[in-house]
Amino acid sequence: MKNFIEVTELKKVFGSGEDEVHAFGPATININSGEFVSVLGPSGCGKSTLMLMVAGLLDSTSGKVEFEKKLVNGPKTDIGIMFQDNTLVPWRTVKGNIELQLELRGLNLKDYQEQINNILKSVNLDDFADRFPNELSGGMQQRAAFCQAMIHDPKIILLDEPLGKLDAMTREKIRADFQKLWMVKKPTVIFVTHSIEEAVQLSNRVILITPRPGKIDREIKIDLPYPRDLNVKRSPKFAEYVNSIQEVFHKYGVI
Amino acid sequence: MKKFIKWVFSGWMLILFFIGFFLFWEYSIPLFDIPRYILPSPSEIVLKGSADLDKLIYYTGVTALETVLGYIIALILGVGFGIAISFSSILRRTLYPFFVSIEMTPKIAFAPLFISWFGFGLMPKVIIVVLVCFFPIVLNAILAFNSLSNELTLFYQSTGASRLKTFFSIRLPAALPQCFVGFKYAAINATVGATIAEFIGSDKGLGFYISIVTGNMRPDLAFAGIFFLTVLGLTIFGFVTMMEKILIPWHISMKRINK
Ligand SMILES: Nc1ncnc2c1ncn2[C@@H]1O[C@H](COP(=O)(O)OP(=O)(O)OP(=O)(O)O)[C@@H](O)[C@H]1O
Ligand SMILES: [Mg+2]
Repeated sequence: MKNFIEVTELKKVFGSGEDEVHAFGPATININSGEFVSVLGPSGCGKSTLMLMVAGLLDSTSGKVEFEKKLVNGPKTDIGIMFQDNTLVPWRTVKGNIELQLELRGLNLKDYQEQINNILKSVNLDDFADRFPNELSGGMQQRAAFCQAMIHDPKIILLDEPLGKLDAMTREKIRADFQKLWMVKKPTVIFVTHSIEEAVQLSNRVILITPRPGKIDREIKIDLPYPRDLNVKRSPKFAEYVNSIQEVFHKYGVI
Repeated sequence: MKKFIKWVFSGWMLILFFIGFFLFWEYSIPLFDIPRYILPSPSEIVLKGSADLDKLIYYTGVTALETVLGYIIALILGVGFGIAISFSSILRRTLYPFFVSIEMTPKIAFAPLFISWFGFGLMPKVIIVVLVCFFPIVLNAILAFNSLSNELTLFYQSTGASRLKTFFSIRLPAALPQCFVGFKYAAINATVGATIAEFIGSDKGLGFYISIVTGNMRPDLAFAGIFFLTVLGLTIFGFVTMMEKILIPWHISMKRINK
């Protein structure tokens, strides 16, 4: 479906008077269903703010967000969302934390045991299912949080720097797995990241945000075949996309 | 293993310290020629105290009843009000500042009034224990139920879970560690409240005993009474600490690892 998510003149200003911070916008973004869109921008430009407004978890100052022409005016529950700081609770194991998502949604845990095992295996955490979050490294916690956000098989996925704390190799592997999953199930994805390469590798479209207050500098359609494996990543076209994005941020003096 | 050795070692240090302390006490009395009606030696306290053992045990029971009853009532009221205030913006703007301002008054100052209103029996003592325990519990509970991280709040909102489910799955367990800070503080206050209440007006209990024998120039028996009070206080505190270990083991182990 075209224009599945419509973000129109969306703007956020925190505080008022002296403490006023213009965090984001106004910006207009349209996303088709099944599309993989990355949001790329310097730190503090309002990416997380944008994501929370799209999810209905933060009120906008002006403008609107619509899903299938329906206005978002409260938390959207038919989504999978991963926040910048992880939402693992310390009193549950890795598995227990994944089940928390299901419990809160009133889903039957028995129906999901196999999925839980599979998703843990896919991020190499199957040996740590019964460990508590404080027994894991930062990167492992992030992988566990990724499983927690994805276990209910959402059709709309919002991820805020989900792979930020991972080492290069694990990052590469989870990207590939996630791409595979996206190719099969075709969820609509909004993916916030700092990594230009990651954005180019995964997305149909990359949205470049200016420094705060974040506005849209430009959108770049990535015309590369999926799956984007090593061969695609080594292609001159891939490098061209990465370079052109680097140039934009160079212009702003952020790299 | 290393940790275990360290633990045993530090335990021994403490025991040695106590032995040294009591030895010093025992032998400095003849050494400095301290009269026994000022400060008796530990051996004399044990000797004279054991002659009065029946009374001491009975009075310990009396004080324990006042303390435990008051503590439990304070626990129920404190957590109840804590939750109510955390979830109601009206109460947060009325009761909460009221409690904070009362917290500044020394509650024990009310003790003579309660004794004069309610007499010498059990009730005024329980009320005083409730009073000294309630505030640390309620204020910590309010803090506990209001300090959920922003991400967790957003997380449960995005699942569409009911308030009740959210409460038991997230808010309550997240609040327990901070609640126990209040429970432990109150456990220390509880015996203090009961003892002072007994000083002011009673005909039984360890506080009553201590004030009577002190009046009779028997510091040895007063120390025996203090010993039983200490045991009572430690038992209550130990029980609360044990409950903390049982209810929130994840919190204890987290603290251990962070060391
Ligand atoms: N709750 C808030 N109250 C006040 N200001 C806020 C709040 N949340 C964010 N801001 C401000 O809004 C701006 C954008 O924040 P945001 O978290 O959206 O940035 P970001 O693009 O996600 O940055 P990063 O890449 O570092 O995560 C920042 O300047 C921040 O200080
Ligand atoms: Mg952010």
